[in-house]
Amino acid sequence: MIESARTLRNRCAIVGAGNSRLGQVPGVSSLDLFMEAAAHALEDAGLRVRDIDGLITRGPDDAYCHHQQIGERLGLNARFSTSLDNGGASQILAVAVAVMAIEAGLATTVLCGYGRDAWSRTHTSAAARVKNQTRPDSQHDQEFGPEFGYFGAVAAHAFGARRHMHEFGTTREDFAEIAMAFREHAIRNPQAQSRKPLSPEDYFNARLIVSPFGLYDCSLRSDGAGAVIVTSTERARGLRPRPVLIRGFGSHNNLTGWFANDNMIRTAAFESGQAAYRMAGIAPSEVDTVQLYDCFTYMVLVQLEDYGFCGKGEGGAFVRSGALRLGGTLPANTSGGQLAEAHVEGMLQIVEGVRQLRGCYAPERQVSNAEIALVSGHGGNQVCHSTLILQAG
Amino acid sequence: MAHLVPKPVPRASAESRPFWDGVQERKLLLQHCRSCGNYWFPPSALCRHCLSPQSDWREVSGRGRIYSFVVYHRLYHPAFEQDLPYVVAIVALQEGPRLLSNIAGTPWQEIRCDLPVRVAFGDDGRGMMVPQFSICDE
Ligand SMILES: [Zn+2]
Repeated sequence: MIESARTLRNRCAIVGAGNSRLGQVPGVSSLDLFMEAAAHALEDAGLRVRDIDGLITRGPDDAYCHHQQIGERLGLNARFSTSLDNGGASQILAVAVAVMAIEAGLATTVLCGYGRDAWSRTHTSAAARVKNQTRPDSQHDQEFGPEFGYFGAVAAHAFGARRHMHEFGTTREDFAEIAMAFREHAIRNPQAQSRKPLSPEDYFNARLIVSPFGLYDCSLRSDGAGAVIVTSTERARGLRPRPVLIRGFGSHNNLTGWFANDNMIRTAAFESGQAAYRMAGIAPSEVDTVQLYDCFTYMVLVQLEDYGFCGKGEGGAFVRSGALRLGGTLPANTSGGQLAEAHVEGMLQIVEGVRQLRGCYAPERQVSNAEIALVSGHGGNQVCHSTLILQAG
Repeated sequence: MAHLVPKPVPRASAESRPFWDGVQERKLLLQHCRSCGNYWFPPSALCRHCLSPQSDWREVSGRGRIYSFVVYHRLYHPAFEQDLPYVVAIVALQEGPRLLSNIAGTPWQEIRCDLPVRVAFGDDGRGMMVPQFSICDE
């Protein structure tokens, strides 16, 4: 077995976290949303742009050399900068690469972030609404898909949900509990996009999108951005905010494809999680809160299994126990997640993990005694995964 | 019934051209490795099992099972409006490779994972044949 680098455990910390306006922010580009989030993260850390010497971004879905565009707006010459291409797994990977760059002596303080204008992009016209695409046509398949009416990420994940239901008896009731739990969290979050209570009737009466997914199994289309600042734990001790230590991270990419083997029901979260647990030196039972990549309800359920919070096939029973709710045994997506707060491709899950570990919320939104948070990222063509384990500093 | 908006025509690449040529003759052809004997899909120059460049196109059984399927209730493309709700399935062929397709001739409520299917071919107003599948006996 390959050993992950335990020497990186707690070597670096997140010292600033911020987000832009979220939800429907028409007339603001994804780059300017990123800048808003970056400014808030800097302010949170008590740092200026001149204190930053590293920049890791992921482009919005149509950008070339995204980090250059952000660096230009920041007025930053970076010792280390790049933009990543692992879809929704990029944001956590950015934090992991920042740790590696800092440890390699290539940078001291790295800004990591992502911004997107997915709501604006899919609501510019009736045709854009129907297509519901955030990427340009040229990036989509030209054969072996569109001729069969296969479009969009909803269907890709719905295939996994359907197979999981078939193999393990998972039901839409299980998915409903995830949607309702996260919505309940969003109601406590004033900046969340969806704050109306969601009942089982609402869930089951909602229109089907690509079954087994209905409307409330699907995450939001959002404009928004998030950013975090990573530096060495040593430097972090000299800064104003309470640092959040990067205890471990992992990554795994099933590049053979989502349709290959059983990748859609035993996802790359398993190997990514194993790597992160090894680096962190902890077991799943030591995690106090999870912020999981919830592009669809099913992805939460399958990741809970793959991360070892319950056995394979037991995700339905686990969520129905109420575990994911604030006050439950494993409070999850306490901001409302991408299903109810805003969908910024996993970036806001890192921000929420940091805030929970700082204990900065009022009691109704705070995970009590939160010491360890696990954050996940998932994306690309559904096969890229990354994991971050954070610890209160 | 005529389609007001034509369905998307697959844009073949140099590598996939033989596949589509086969489909026009109602044949399902896959690349078969002369070194290791495996089949693969989608088409590419080297064998996905052993990277051998020595392959030929062989007609396969057209038999397989539904690994998973989804039902589109929401419209993403105007050409599929009158098909709603329609099924898109991942078909696992007996020879190993999996491909996306539609399941024709069975109401969507009766489709299940692991049901056996066989290839059928349809034009569907597109001016070009595409492989589809129908539920069959074991
Ligand atoms: Zn071979």
